[in-house]
Amino acid sequence: MRRLRHLAQEMMVPVGLVAAFGLWSARAESFYFPSLTRIVERFSDVWLFDRVVPDLVPSVVRMISGYGIAVILGIATGLLCGCLPTLRVGVDPIVQFMRALPSPALIPFVILILGIGDAMKVTVIFTGALWPILLNTMDGAMSVDETMLDMAKTYHLPARARLRHVVLPAASPRILAGMRTSLSIAIVLMVVSEMVASTNGVGYFVLSSQRSFAIPDMWSGIIVLGILGYVANIAFVRVERQLLYWHRGANGLAVDDTSRKLQI
Amino acid sequence: MTSVAPVRSSRFPRRRPTPKNVLGRITGVASLLILLELASRGELIPSQWFPPITETYARLAELAITGDFWRNVGLTLQGWASGLAIAIVIGVPVGILIGLSPHLYRSLRLVIEFLRPIPSVALVPLAVLLWGTGMGTKVFLVGFAAFWPLLFQALYGVGEVDPVARDTATAYRLPRMARFWHITLPSAVPFIATGVRISSSIALILSVVAELVAGSPGIGREIALSQASLAIPTMYALIIAIGLLGWGLNTALLTLERRVLGWHTPYRPNGGRHT
Amino acid sequence: MTVLEVESLSKSFLAPSGEHVTAIQELTFDVAAGEFVCIVGPSGCGKTTLLKCVSGLMAPSQGVVRVRGAVVDGTPDELAVVFQDYSRSLLPWMSVEQNIQLPLRYKGLSRSEIDRLTGEAINAVGLGEFEAHYPWQLSGGMQQRVAIARAIAYEPSILLMDEPFASVDAQTRTDLEDLLLDIWRRFEITVLFVTHDIDESVYLADRVLVLDRRPTSIRTVVEVPLERPRDQLKTKADPAYADLRSQVFRAIRRQEEGFEDR
Repeated sequence: MRRLRHLAQEMMVPVGLVAAFGLWSARAESFYFPSLTRIVERFSDVWLFDRVVPDLVPSVVRMISGYGIAVILGIATGLLCGCLPTLRVGVDPIVQFMRALPSPALIPFVILILGIGDAMKVTVIFTGALWPILLNTMDGAMSVDETMLDMAKTYHLPARARLRHVVLPAASPRILAGMRTSLSIAIVLMVVSEMVASTNGVGYFVLSSQRSFAIPDMWSGIIVLGILGYVANIAFVRVERQLLYWHRGANGLAVDDTSRKLQI
Repeated sequence: MTSVAPVRSSRFPRRRPTPKNVLGRITGVASLLILLELASRGELIPSQWFPPITETYARLAELAITGDFWRNVGLTLQGWASGLAIAIVIGVPVGILIGLSPHLYRSLRLVIEFLRPIPSVALVPLAVLLWGTGMGTKVFLVGFAAFWPLLFQALYGVGEVDPVARDTATAYRLPRMARFWHITLPSAVPFIATGVRISSSIALILSVVAELVAGSPGIGREIALSQASLAIPTMYALIIAIGLLGWGLNTALLTLERRVLGWHTPYRPNGGRHT
Repeated sequence: MTVLEVESLSKSFLAPSGEHVTAIQELTFDVAAGEFVCIVGPSGCGKTTLLKCVSGLMAPSQGVVRVRGAVVDGTPDELAVVFQDYSRSLLPWMSVEQNIQLPLRYKGLSRSEIDRLTGEAINAVGLGEFEAHYPWQLSGGMQQRVAIARAIAYEPSILLMDEPFASVDAQTRTDLEDLLLDIWRRFEITVLFVTHDIDESVYLADRVLVLDRRPTSIRTVVEVPLERPRDQLKTKADPAYADLRSQVFRAIRRQEEGFEDR
């Protein structure tokens, strides 16, 4: 009974807002905020499934490619630098600077070198998403517990075993935290690069709809981006939960904790 | 979009640079710069697209004495500051309220979960529609994007009160207001401080995005213009400038955070542990 | 036959403040095969440093450590270490079984050998049902047993233990002490056991080495001729036990109060 009451509470505001907006927009006939029915209509026309292949797929592929390369290179380089103190100290200020630099500022630079095709977009995404992963991996590799490393030494674990079984897992909570930040960056850069210079993609679609005053289309594109962001986030959380099963247990959290803190 | 997992404030504090470290760091940066310089001059990379570093820095020095350059810096910062301020003023109190009230949290949860994954950049065309290419667009975008990390950090911070401290307050029958000011709020401050730092970097990014996509005046727009007109050393110089800006802001906020929060456990030497 | 020789071991450090700190000064002792030797000393006297030097994790500033005649340079193959903090020496992302097997996988053994050694070790510490569990699912005492199993599976001839039962509650500690004695007898290993617990040192040892304050060296050696097998009730009721216990206690006290006894 309590759960039902909570459910009602949760639904109250969203349902109310949607209804209010629906009513207002149908009446007000605002240019910028078309009626809800109109938006839904355009959404199903456009995204189910006309523009999925020409726009949604390229966007998603670019984002995954750029992000994927950032993850692989970021972790590999991060582990290398984390384990070699001299390298780490030298590389650190560079990485810090690049991390602080707003990544969209590099878009004109990449356009200069690579034009406006897919390579440009994937590169832009990569150059933005790399740094949090690299930084966090370096940090994680540096912070492996000394006792654990001593133990590995006394049992003569070879370097590759140490890396694979001790350093990498020990650093993984930090690495995944970096990957999470990088995911947001990847999505932002995907959209921005498509808005700045592209001939297709969801970001491009939203901007070009606005420019040609196809406002309901623009809104439908915004909704798609929202869904994309949501799905990416959920997928990430699921994967993280799988990979860090042991971390939650070791830190005393219940292993399938669904408390509100962890949902957020 | 800010898929920020609630960040425990600097669970991972950085080490302070020791004298040996400083030398190493300078060597690292210097090696990179020398490498790039040689690569450009030796035409290993086409010097047309990658002018020598010295040229870029010379250009930066030239720009730094022009009024226009600083005007643009100011415009970028203005968007950053205004948007961030709005985000703090709205986001922190709302976050605290939601964090304190399970009822409010339940009511608003779905709304938040729906709005939050929308990448703020998706709203650029909407903002242009409503406010054109001026400061309004920039401030709206910055504010919207910077709002979320602050909201969540405040929300989370308020919920992370040490149960022992909380129970002590109850045992001593501290009145509600006192409990809030003396226990809840101080526990939340480190999280909020981290939120400010995260939001600050997001704010700068969105300021630049507004300038790039919407054409709002600022450094971002100047970078795009110099690329389009092939003023290449200028483009690089401006990119470095905005990098320094971002780095400077981040460092300033980190230092402020450390000063203000010296008492908080992760900042104490040895992480507060007695060794 | 002497398996472990520590000869004039000295170790100094440069402290962060810049001063030279001598942790160990001219420390010498021997351990014979199959002996159970305990090392006790006042807090902060350098027990951990000593253990690190003996196990090869740290190089001595002066003097030498020899295992079966060979100078120690890095951990010798026949030596296994059990650390005090089990939660930091066991890998939380691996199960009990995987933790125990990990060192064996790089010893060049066959799959069946590895399985056999693992199985024996797990049974020797009484954790047969918990192979698939993760360390953090187990109690502190059980976790330390996993660490001990890992050490035994490695088939060392010398076991080095750094206050292994310090982080465990008193009741579990007595169980672990008896388990350790049982293992020591069964596997015929030599044990060097560092502790700050005087009762424990006398209960377990053939010989107790009492360390100085820093800079530490061996101050006193107390022979423990108590009957084996030891028993928690009988041995501790023996007046000889109480006597030996006070000998050790007095030796430590003298260090702590700084009486010049040199």
